[in-house]
Amino acid sequence: MQLALPDLQAAFAAHVAGVDRPDLVAAVVGDTIPAEARLRVYRHHVSHSLSAALAATFPTVQALVGEAFFRGLAQGFVAEALPAQPVLTEYGAEFPAFVATHEPARALPYLADIASLDWALNVAFHSPEGRRVAAVDLAGIAAERLPSLSIVLPEGASLIRSLYPIDRIWKASQPGASADTVDLEAGRADLLVLRRADDAAFIVLDTGEAAFVAALVEGVSLESAAEGALSADPSFDLSAAFARLLTLEAFAALQQSWGG
Amino acid sequence: MDLVTGIGLRAPHLAEIARDRPATGFLEIHAENYLGASPARQMIERLRETNTFSIHAVGLSLGSAEGLDERHLDRVAALVKRLEPAYVSDHLSWSVHGGRYFNDLLPLPYTEEALDAVVRNVGRLQEALGRQVSIENPSCYLAFAHSTLTEPEFLAELARRSGCGLLLDLNNIVVTAHNLRLDPHDWLQALPDKAITEYHLAGHAVNDCDGEPLLIDDHGSRVGPEAWSLFDEIVRRYGARPTLIEWDTDIPALSVLLDEAAKADRAITMANPDAARAA
Amino acid sequence: MTKTRIAIASAIASALAAALVAPMAVQAQGNMEKCYGISKAGKNDCQTASSSCAGTSKKDAQTDAWLSVPKGACEKIVGGSLAAKK
Repeated sequence: MQLALPDLQAAFAAHVAGVDRPDLVAAVVGDTIPAEARLRVYRHHVSHSLSAALAATFPTVQALVGEAFFRGLAQGFVAEALPAQPVLTEYGAEFPAFVATHEPARALPYLADIASLDWALNVAFHSPEGRRVAAVDLAGIAAERLPSLSIVLPEGASLIRSLYPIDRIWKASQPGASADTVDLEAGRADLLVLRRADDAAFIVLDTGEAAFVAALVEGVSLESAAEGALSADPSFDLSAAFARLLTLEAFAALQQSWGG
Repeated sequence: MDLVTGIGLRAPHLAEIARDRPATGFLEIHAENYLGASPARQMIERLRETNTFSIHAVGLSLGSAEGLDERHLDRVAALVKRLEPAYVSDHLSWSVHGGRYFNDLLPLPYTEEALDAVVRNVGRLQEALGRQVSIENPSCYLAFAHSTLTEPEFLAELARRSGCGLLLDLNNIVVTAHNLRLDPHDWLQALPDKAITEYHLAGHAVNDCDGEPLLIDDHGSRVGPEAWSLFDEIVRRYGARPTLIEWDTDIPALSVLLDEAAKADRAITMANPDAARAA
Repeated sequence: MTKTRIAIASAIASALAAALVAPMAVQAQGNMEKCYGISKAGKNDCQTASSSCAGTSKKDAQTDAWLSVPKGACEKIVGGSLAAKK
């Protein structure tokens, strides 16, 4: 019996997702190349092209594990979660969580955080540049008002906090990187990922700066953020940290904080 | 003669093109790569000062029985409004079903029912964009037994009912004709002359399917001799149109694409000198 | 507000104000680590990857994933415990 178009597309969708559909096979013309083989071209294409798109979004993960292992990882993810829309740069938000639970990747405990970093760079890259706060913009504000202000971070910015030295792992995984090893004992890394004028990039934060930025992300006042940073790191230098973040154009706007 | 052949603008060439601004007929981008506000899109916006653009969508899924994804349609429409390209196109295929996107140009049965669906969707697209769009023939790896129209008949009827243009991909004709045991020359016989708006040229791969060759539209090599020969034939028969060289797999140096484009321009002049001047 | 809090608030105010006139030496330590540039803009171009009609099933692909061993820059990452620290 002939499949109506909605039924045919439902059957085809199931087929490319890995479910064999005899009704679909029966609707396809076979000859020396059987209908099943013709249908498989599409099934493979969907899996391969989406894996390729994930490889483009998570290049550092692929560089760490190699193409073959990445393919297994990506195809496992694709089988679980096809894109919900056609823009492939927006596909893979859940990939870092998938990596974290992927049994064969257990030996690389930092891999999920690297996936988060790749994703954050991708998100920042596709976000609007927007305007940034410069020191001159603050010149007109009375010093005693500054502590009660809160900071709006640029669109697409994110803070990645890892127990592993993911900044060094990231560098060691870039094309043309030196053969030097990275010791996981080097410890944690906190990175602020940002859109810049021509690209996306990350800033390596020290412990106090990371606590400061983490508080700002939550929308608290500069005063509360400074106190949080000081308790995380008694040697935190607020003046230097604030100047550094301003210089790196890490702030999109300041606003009066009504909360803490 | 004016250059009429353009190239598909791919990310690895973007910086070089922005710097050198090589002479080429036009630049075609895939809509879905530029919906975000990336530095790459800012670069395209600057390139508009010197280059003509074409926006080729790959994800509108114009063959979906369930209709178009209105959110995606809005985003593509916003990009078209922003870049004001000379041409806008997508494919005669579908790629979305039930809120999932398959990233492939999936085949349609060529039936009245499918024609109604595509006419409706193309109408909605043209309404949203406020302009004509062109629809491209896909590469096919299978045919449905219940199809009642040939692909060119389906396209001609689609153009007549929706008022859309036709983007004819000569390599896709070669691939489909080989895979579905059709004669590519027959394919060209009865096209609606006035609806034809653009030509695409690319290379394909030959895969082994249990001992049988199956052509795969991988856009990974120079345009093959069969596609060049069909290109000569179509230009002789229907005249020159804006033509595009596409390359997506194993992308070569920009000079190779420009060389292919120059070759297409020469083919147009040889096949139809009057049409080449008019284009 | 206690005296201590006032002292903290005014220290914070002066620290923030000082940042606005920070010397270049402070700015020099501000380099960002690396970029993610415009060559990354083409994911929807992967449209036409060469596909086969081979009969591998989804199950086979999953099994391959289990048998495959990471082989890449991870060889440069040493030390630490093999188990996740979490």
